[in-house]
Amino acid sequence: MTFISVENLKTGYETEKGTVQAVDDVSFALENGESIGIAGESACGKSTLGLSIMRIVPDGNIASGDITLEGKSILKMSKSEFAKNVRWKDISMVFQGAMNSLDPVFTVEEQFIEVLKQHRYNGDYKQKISEIVNSVGLTQDVIKKYPHELSGGMKQRIVIAIALLLKPKFVIADEPTTALDVLVQAQIINLLKKLKKDGMSIMLITHDLAIISEVAEKIGIMYAGKMIEFGSAYEIYKNPKHPYTQALLKSIPRLRGDKVTNYIRGSPPSLIQPPQGCRFYDRCPHAMEKCKKDPPKFKTDSGYVSCWLYE
Amino acid sequence: MLEEILSVQNLTKHFAKKGIFSSSRTVVKAVDDISFSLKKGEVLVLAGESGSGKSTTARLILRAIEPDSGRIFFDGTEIGKDSKSLEKIRMQCQMIHQDPYASIDPRMNISDIIMEPLEIHKIGTKEERKKMVLDALHEVKLEPAEDIFYKFPHMLSGGQRQRIVLARALVLKPKLIIADEPVSMLDVSIRAEVLELMRELQEKHSISYIYITHDLSTARYLGQNIAIMYLGKIVESGPIDEVLLNPKHPYTRALIDAISDPDPDNLFREKKIGKY
Repeated sequence: MTFISVENLKTGYETEKGTVQAVDDVSFALENGESIGIAGESACGKSTLGLSIMRIVPDGNIASGDITLEGKSILKMSKSEFAKNVRWKDISMVFQGAMNSLDPVFTVEEQFIEVLKQHRYNGDYKQKISEIVNSVGLTQDVIKKYPHELSGGMKQRIVIAIALLLKPKFVIADEPTTALDVLVQAQIINLLKKLKKDGMSIMLITHDLAIISEVAEKIGIMYAGKMIEFGSAYEIYKNPKHPYTQALLKSIPRLRGDKVTNYIRGSPPSLIQPPQGCRFYDRCPHAMEKCKKDPPKFKTDSGYVSCWLYE
Repeated sequence: MLEEILSVQNLTKHFAKKGIFSSSRTVVKAVDDISFSLKKGEVLVLAGESGSGKSTTARLILRAIEPDSGRIFFDGTEIGKDSKSLEKIRMQCQMIHQDPYASIDPRMNISDIIMEPLEIHKIGTKEERKKMVLDALHEVKLEPAEDIFYKFPHMLSGGQRQRIVLARALVLKPKLIIADEPVSMLDVSIRAEVLELMRELQEKHSISYIYITHDLSTARYLGQNIAIMYLGKIVESGPIDEVLLNPKHPYTRALIDAISDPDPDNLFREKKIGKY
């Protein structure tokens, strides 16, 4: 059964120079128990996609499209209904730069209590907090501490724990491992794997395709606001179709095997009045005349690809 | 035999940590009796987790902090407290910091940023300095250099900013560049580009690098030799392929296991976190 689906979502930001179309006609769907990884360069719209699903972007910025969770549209819901029943209870988020998103003047416990109060949790606060701290692999003594007393990895776990407080079904994690040490990264990855085993779905937003391979069954590759390829992890890694996906995979320095690394020359187009046609046109080694027209989504075995090569 | 550019002998730095209200003191052995040397044109990788003493080592070499004991020789001169040796190392050895959003002054334009080291070291006339700045911009492939010259940092992307930092280091024609996590804040696709540029410059001017990182996959791309640091000590060192492909110390093995390669089969296995 379809767990969450995003259909033709368009989110933009108004600026003085015009609308920045940060998410432009993005679609994907996940089955029950699946997790997705969203990859792409900075400013390709991957964080805005996460914020749109959480409905944190200002009203009116979501221009069109629909998001459904277990068959129910969460975009058509009223704002208050969404805040009361969905946000944090069904869908929660681990924000980017999470290490700085804890309030330095409150103890960890107070920050947990704030969330529980806001969502009118009836139950024993103390017990709940102690449970959740355990579940992310921290000891009880962190509860009474202030954020500055904790290491980067511990803070990241606390922020993940806050997202898990109300047992959501879907957690959006925006760059949860960036800026952490490799050893701490590995611990966070194992934590995410454990959460998945407990039945949670994760949307992992990162520019690091290696991290995505650890948790995601499905992968969406974004470029300049568009999701240019979507499919199963196996297909994306073993048989990437879009030239951008291929280039992105080649640009990762690897520890094992081949040393040669290629990078993608040039930079993505501006999202204010982007050029007609394929947005990867300027940087694509296979660019042809046809690419000046917008490529539709061509079906693949497990998803779709937006590239005229697969017409 | 290539000549040695830097030699570090038994370098030690301990920090005393004292609570605000308590009288108890604990000693942090940030750098504990380490020795290594670097040949001309060589790239040495200093790797280890946060707090292993990598950055302290860099700061000790540049004498931003005083070592407790140990000796540092740079290009045949011992670096001590005298201003002559300090001037030498601070001119010929340059540093690149991790965060290009923090390491350049947002209120200075690009030309002033890159010109500042020339002014500090009183090199060239005004016209000569301008030419040197433009040359440095060409070197790091920021084109058109004449336009970039008058821009401000906020107009540039992260990758471009890191090239500005690189240009600022290059403008003094250094013999050694210490790069402290220069690409960890950058996007994966730009990472390879900046590393490639660093390697090109190294081959062209035979600059030596000390490349400080916790990410062994980028280390392998740039480095020839590697020293793994743990709790202030070097626990393993040698040619990079030898150390990374056949690690001996359990800590090195743990660091290597922690790195993910993009492989869909990762999904089905727990990450190994080694004991050391």
